[in-house]
Amino acid sequence: MSTLPLIVMLCLVAASASAAELPADPLNSPAWSTIAGRYFKGQTVAFDARVKVTAPSSAEDPLDVPVQISAEGLPDVQEMLVVADLNPIQKILSYEPLRAAPSLAFRFKVEQSTPIRVAARTRDGVWHLGGVWLSAAGGGCTTPSYGSADPVWQTRLNEVRGRLWPADDHTGQRLRLRVIHPMDTGLANGIPAFYIDRIVLSDAKGVTLARLNTFEPVSENPVLSFDLRGSGAVQVSGGDIQGNTFSAEISP
Amino acid sequence: MSSNAVASNVAGGSIKALAGLALAASISSAFAGPVTDAMILNDQNTPNDVLTVGMGTTGQRFSSSTQINSDTVVDLVPAWSFSFGGEKQRGQETQALVHDGKIFITGSYSRLWALDQKTGSKLWSYEHRLPEGIVPCCDVVNRGAALYDNLVIFGTLDAKLVALNADTGKVVWTETIDDFKGGYSYTAAPLIVKGKLITGVSGGEFGVVGRIEARDAKTGKMVWSRPTVEGHMGYLNGKENGISGKTNATWPGDLWKTGGAATWLGCTYGADTNLIYCGTGNPAPWNAFTRPGDNLYSTSTVAINADNGKIEWSYQGTPNDHWDFDGVNEFIAFDLKKDGKTVKAGAKADRNGFFYVLNRENGKLLAASPFVTKQTWASGVDLKTGRPVESNNRPGDPQKAEKGSSVFAAPSFLGGKNWMPMAYSGQTGLFYVPANEWGMDIWNEPITYKKGAAYLGAGFTIKPLYDDYIGALRAVDPATGKIVWEYKNPAPLWGGVMTTAGNLVFTGTPEGFLKAFDAKTGKELWKFQTGSGVVGQPTTWEQDGEQYVGVASGWGGAVPLWGGEVAKKVKDISQGGSFWVFKLHKSGKATVAQQ
Repeated sequence: MSTLPLIVMLCLVAASASAAELPADPLNSPAWSTIAGRYFKGQTVAFDARVKVTAPSSAEDPLDVPVQISAEGLPDVQEMLVVADLNPIQKILSYEPLRAAPSLAFRFKVEQSTPIRVAARTRDGVWHLGGVWLSAAGGGCTTPSYGSADPVWQTRLNEVRGRLWPADDHTGQRLRLRVIHPMDTGLANGIPAFYIDRIVLSDAKGVTLARLNTFEPVSENPVLSFDLRGSGAVQVSGGDIQGNTFSAEISP
Repeated sequence: MSSNAVASNVAGGSIKALAGLALAASISSAFAGPVTDAMILNDQNTPNDVLTVGMGTTGQRFSSSTQINSDTVVDLVPAWSFSFGGEKQRGQETQALVHDGKIFITGSYSRLWALDQKTGSKLWSYEHRLPEGIVPCCDVVNRGAALYDNLVIFGTLDAKLVALNADTGKVVWTETIDDFKGGYSYTAAPLIVKGKLITGVSGGEFGVVGRIEARDAKTGKMVWSRPTVEGHMGYLNGKENGISGKTNATWPGDLWKTGGAATWLGCTYGADTNLIYCGTGNPAPWNAFTRPGDNLYSTSTVAINADNGKIEWSYQGTPNDHWDFDGVNEFIAFDLKKDGKTVKAGAKADRNGFFYVLNRENGKLLAASPFVTKQTWASGVDLKTGRPVESNNRPGDPQKAEKGSSVFAAPSFLGGKNWMPMAYSGQTGLFYVPANEWGMDIWNEPITYKKGAAYLGAGFTIKPLYDDYIGALRAVDPATGKIVWEYKNPAPLWGGVMTTAGNLVFTGTPEGFLKAFDAKTGKELWKFQTGSGVVGQPTTWEQDGEQYVGVASGWGGAVPLWGGEVAKKVKDISQGGSFWVFKLHKSGKATVAQQ
């Protein structure tokens, strides 16, 4: 035996040792080490029961799966990242709650049964992870969006509708938004990627309340719910990857 | 001053080295970094880059490169090829731009790619999300982009302009030209003049109103707009800037409101006159009995002041057009040498079959001669009045009947020359015109305008004039109007022409070949089969001491859609979508020996 294979073996041992530093995945996902390497490399991750994902156990419509994420109880959340391990495009959105509560509701497209994870980064740089398995018949990402059959986006692209109402516990208000957009993933044959990639909420004085970056897997005509602190009208602005922008004011 | 100070402090041997460094720095800065107005105006003289569609703002499509020449062209071989991919093929009428180590090329269905200049590897791509309801009349083509600052800017089939970061492909700004549901689209290459993005509109078959617009190229903000149909208001910095012409002077009633004159092929620019030269399309509808009068500024060349957007002069080739003789063809500035004098001239090979030479300062007609073998509609052009001498070849007035009487007319509505640009060589003094020989049966039908619907009022069918050829590449002497040589091609020519200081003329054929001809004699010297019809615009550049030639391949355009009998002849041509790059063959042995 020459020395060369020995070196290769040593490297393999070293690699598996560093991978072993990752906490075991409670969801037992086959893609956990890939996801960890892609989004949390060199950072500290911890599974944390305070980080919650609420989703149906089975996707009735793979093009439109409702999900609620929350890290209430976790102090100082800087950013929330949502990924679906087994989707062809894993990253669904990243959310900076800033002056809003660390919670968000949205809908997304699922390709096959997959874990949905939310990772909440606190001020100390630690990612706190929670997640659930979603079972799905699949095809949500490679099927043309409804937009390719339904021409509504061609006349109403980036039209915003919204509603504000006081929170049950009177600590703030809830904002629900709907934006007309086909949110094409680029994976359906012959239809290029075309999706909203940024939404910013601010108050009447122009102070930024929350910042959201959305990606291809978010459902067509996105419906989003934010839990805001304070009260009063909210300014919404955003845009898509082809330079089309929108802005709207939502009043209580 | 500072370099002198440095030189005085160093030994003689180092001064040379310093000078060498300075030279190297100035060379690299000449083709790297943001694109400036000065670089654009000098594009024709810098063989290391191609910053403009037309290879210079005058659109001469002449390169000073000589490595590939009439002696060496036999050794021209492919360097690499890039496939546009996907199922979206159809016509590829684009020209590549070359800058800063990158090649920018547009494709059918409003797509754009940035490629590595050396290897052809894809750096990034932009695919515009098109709505289903787009109505391009004559195929889903795009004719190229514009470069300015760090932006690549192009137009889309849903009538938008998109400016992309040249390094990343990310959208920097986007603007809507007009409502695609009203028939507007955009296929031409934009032109940059003094930091402004100059664009027109497509949609002449749908009763749109033609206009030229100038936007701030960095932001997309509108600076001025100039309608090309008489009666419409122009604007400068958001304020009214006078109507074009005089309302109802050459248009009856309300017809000017949907008068066409689409500026669908873009413009050229003469820095010495500060004029932007734009061709305008047919008046709408085709049925001319509905619109008695000259119908300005349709089927014309319009010269617009680059700063204030006012029309300084115009020349109309086909007054009260009845044959769809769009006058969009490129107006190429050149110095006409005749009778010992040099005249600031410009030339245009019109769809109506005449090769016009005008004074580019004032629009005065200097000469008009046919560049096709048959013109049934006019026997010549009166040099005093500038008007055609018509020969009673208009189709009959349908009045209230379903169909008026039909006539046979030549050229056909696809033109003695269509969109495909000609080239001019200051070296040979010749224009190289991609012409077609065909006629048509044409008749009128009653018509009313409906938003977004075809607005023709005519029926037609195209017929070839000769059994053995339709296309003819012709070398025209602008001083005499004589055809010096011609190359006949079985299928109609539909690609752009380029000429070089290497005594060469390049053009493509629907049969799939890129061909090179001797610029003086027209002898065919080289050809290469690209796999699909070539309707793109060839261009050339130099890199690391080697000259390259690039052309898009991909059959399509208006011929297969509108060509009547001719469409049948070309229906078996394979579709495609790729960009081919060629250079002179260098044997591996020679390369090793050099090292």
